[in-house]
Amino acid sequence: MFRICLLALLALIVTGSSIAAKTTIEWWQFWTDQSVKPTIRAIVDDFEKANPDIKVKLTDLTWANGHEKIVIALASGAGPDVLELGSDWIAQFAATGHLRDLSEHLSLDSNQYQGHGMSTYEGRLYAKPWILGTRVMFANRDLLTRAGHDPEFAPATLDQFKEAAFKITALDKDIYGWGSNTAEKHRLYKKYLPFFWSEGAQIFTDDKRYCVLSSDKAIKALTLYKELHDSCGYVANQRGIEDAFLDGKIGFIISGDWLLKRIELEQRDINLVSTLFPGLRFPGRSFQGGEFLAVNAASDQAEAAVKLIDFITSPEAQVRFCRANRSANPSSKQAQQDDYFQSNLHLQTFIKQMSMVKHPPVDPDWVYIETAIEDAVEEALFGSGLPAEALRQARHKIAALKQK
Amino acid sequence: MVTSSRTGINLLRYVGLGLILVVMSYPLLWMFRVSIMDVAGSVAGSGWLAGGFTLGNYIDLITQAGLGRNLFNSALVGLSVTLGNIVFCFMTGYSLARFRMLSNKLLFVTVIVVLMIPAHIIIIPLYVLMMKTGLYDSYWALILPFLVNPIGIFLIKQYVETIPPSMEEAARMDGASDLRILFTIVMPLCRPALAVLAIQVFFTNWNSFLFPFILTSSDDLRTLPVALAMMQGHQAVDWPHLMAGSAIAVLPVLLVFIILQRQIVSGITAGAVKQ
Amino acid sequence: MRLSRSSSLVLSLPWLVTFILFWLFPLLYSLIMGFSDYRLLATDFNWIGWDNYRELLADDNFLSALKNTFVFVLGTIPVTTVIALALALLVSRSFRGRGLFRAGFFLPSVTSMVVIALIFTNLYQRGGYIALLARFAGLSPPEHGFLFDRATALYSIMAMDVWMSVGYYMLIFLAGLKAIPDELYEAAELNGAGWWRRFWSITLPLLRPVALFIIVINSIKSFQVFVEIFVMTKGKFDTATAVYFIYEQGLQTQFRFGYASAAAYLLFVIIAVFSILQFVLLRRRRALW
Repeated sequence: MFRICLLALLALIVTGSSIAAKTTIEWWQFWTDQSVKPTIRAIVDDFEKANPDIKVKLTDLTWANGHEKIVIALASGAGPDVLELGSDWIAQFAATGHLRDLSEHLSLDSNQYQGHGMSTYEGRLYAKPWILGTRVMFANRDLLTRAGHDPEFAPATLDQFKEAAFKITALDKDIYGWGSNTAEKHRLYKKYLPFFWSEGAQIFTDDKRYCVLSSDKAIKALTLYKELHDSCGYVANQRGIEDAFLDGKIGFIISGDWLLKRIELEQRDINLVSTLFPGLRFPGRSFQGGEFLAVNAASDQAEAAVKLIDFITSPEAQVRFCRANRSANPSSKQAQQDDYFQSNLHLQTFIKQMSMVKHPPVDPDWVYIETAIEDAVEEALFGSGLPAEALRQARHKIAALKQK
Repeated sequence: MVTSSRTGINLLRYVGLGLILVVMSYPLLWMFRVSIMDVAGSVAGSGWLAGGFTLGNYIDLITQAGLGRNLFNSALVGLSVTLGNIVFCFMTGYSLARFRMLSNKLLFVTVIVVLMIPAHIIIIPLYVLMMKTGLYDSYWALILPFLVNPIGIFLIKQYVETIPPSMEEAARMDGASDLRILFTIVMPLCRPALAVLAIQVFFTNWNSFLFPFILTSSDDLRTLPVALAMMQGHQAVDWPHLMAGSAIAVLPVLLVFIILQRQIVSGITAGAVKQ
Repeated sequence: MRLSRSSSLVLSLPWLVTFILFWLFPLLYSLIMGFSDYRLLATDFNWIGWDNYRELLADDNFLSALKNTFVFVLGTIPVTTVIALALALLVSRSFRGRGLFRAGFFLPSVTSMVVIALIFTNLYQRGGYIALLARFAGLSPPEHGFLFDRATALYSIMAMDVWMSVGYYMLIFLAGLKAIPDELYEAAELNGAGWWRRFWSITLPLLRPVALFIIVINSIKSFQVFVEIFVMTKGKFDTATAVYFIYEQGLQTQFRFGYASAAAYLLFVIIAVFSILQFVLLRRRRALW
């Protein structure tokens, strides 16, 4: 209450008003890169042409600080009408009532889109999936062949993968079997979770009441991950791993569609294999995230906002965006059938992987949970902790939070 | 003998200084080098000679990315804030020196509070304030909060206290008004301190990222550091363009320094060191 | 001359208005919220008195962030000050090309920190130039890169910070050197004092106020180290500093604005005590302030 009083007092001291034209809606988005921004602009222009009564104000955010800006704006009761949100942010904004409940509208065509699981919080839909993201396994065919595999080989199980990674490491002093991420925030856990899920482990029990982060399966996954890291890992940040992979020094890495974009733009010459993430049985489960579009609960232009979201996520607009950004994961199932994705073997791997994925729990405290998991992996890889002990500590942290 | 040993010492000095210069400027030379590389994205592992040469990155920035507008915004905001500080810090500093309305201690406390509370804590209430006053997403949001800064006031106050008040008194006898005395007699005397102030304020403002990023959203208002941040993509950094942009941001500063070097050094002497 | 109360007030008005409006309000707001459990985005909150402060003093993450901050401050400041002084001595006398050296030394300090941090991330990576240099010197650089090793990460960032800021402080030292009257040196030379003697008994004592000024300003700045950490390591590998902690608590993991504000004020008290100590020292010398 006091906070509101302070603000009210302030409003009394300084009288001001924001003037907004009735039909203008604002959209905050992250794609500022010169290869995509013109396409975003063009899609919005087409929307304005199709809806002459609506004008769209396009605002760019940076990947590094955009989240802060959204948090600050929403916390102040301000912000745009339409927001681009990363999948891991939806729950925290939905739980505090800052996103408009779009269930009625989105359930109409929800079977035409993938990814609704990530925007469903307590049974309600808060955002429409736009461009999803998953990771697949990439390998260097030349190194696989040198290690004695036949030209068709791709690892189907984690055991085969581990064996192949070890064989490649044994090839030479400067050759590594596996590109292993250093403790990079918001990245390291995305690398561990596919192992975790593929071993059949879970963060919470199905009824979401208990944290089971330190189950035997989870420990097994982290032990394997650590073994790969210690014995055949080229350890660097994501960028460094990709550089070394493209230079032919690494056998296997996990990466997203941006790697394909890089290979194309930089005209890199590499004998590339892409394959679904291996599991206990083929295939395993990879990580899924993505970009979503949501409506600010404080917006008084919800109708126009939803129209814009529908336009941007339409199959045609998604294909257009994906072609410009070389994105491999449109949320629209119709878009996935487009020639663009069917024409390229690696893009197809991504499309296939999309149905073999898991996503983190939709939880308002996810960022805290993520930090706990990431700290545990960091401790196991770079500290003195054993995998079991590190996971147990993370579980305690998460359990303590949930009890509050 | 004497001259040859002199030359030897001189040579040694240049070699030593040259080595230090290499260490000090290596990263920035690398920045300029990458900014004229003719490659897309990655620069890892490319040496000084690899990567080709092009001015295309600079041209792209000006023609496609609209960096000219960002430069203009940075210059406009930077100059306004600098000018504001020169006038207002001078006025306040002067009045504090000549009329002890506030005690030194209070001023000192405001200096350190403003300096010491992290921007991330300030920015949330400031954002609310900007929304409520309708200043959000305008040049005003980038100028007004920074128009007067306590360190500047402090600097001026210290300086004015070293100037004997006799000249002002004489002018007053002749019937000059307070404002006239202030701007035509005292201000020119404070030029060195004002120079330091201007340089510090301008450089700080030139590189400021967080406030412009949070307090504006229109493309038209984007300043250079924000535009540079936008060049870092989702999973990749477009090095050649980012470095070209950074070089564009550094060049004016470098020019100003080379031209004003003597004045800057003597300004700091006069402003910061005098008792 | 004495100004009248009213004209003094008028002259101070721009400052008073902008300070009260844009700074005092946010400062008081966060000071007050430091006594609440307010989280950004939440709709309500409770007043919890000193609980945030109590929790902070028992929070391992905060304490280790404080420790890292102190390592940063106490480690960089002497090194920066000494190198800045050495550079200033090297380029204080007039010689051909002096301007080039001064500009070269000064330039890093006015370049954007974000850009510098990105460049150094590259230089510090495995196989990067600094690793090559270390190998050349017969050292073995950390296998995964300087920033991804607990033993070297914080020190690498500190080294970058020193590199970046020496030029600015060199300039201030230069100014201080210029203010020393030449007659003192001439007199000393007549008395047969060598270079070292002159440096020790004239230059150094007379530079003391400047040095203290530099130390105060630099410590206030260094206590707030954030951007480097944010760009280079995000607090991993034992590099989280106090302001990084505040940022993470307030704007990243749980949006605990109340808690983060309390941390900010606790840090403020620490810096203030530190600065007042230096301030007292300064005043005792009747030098700068």
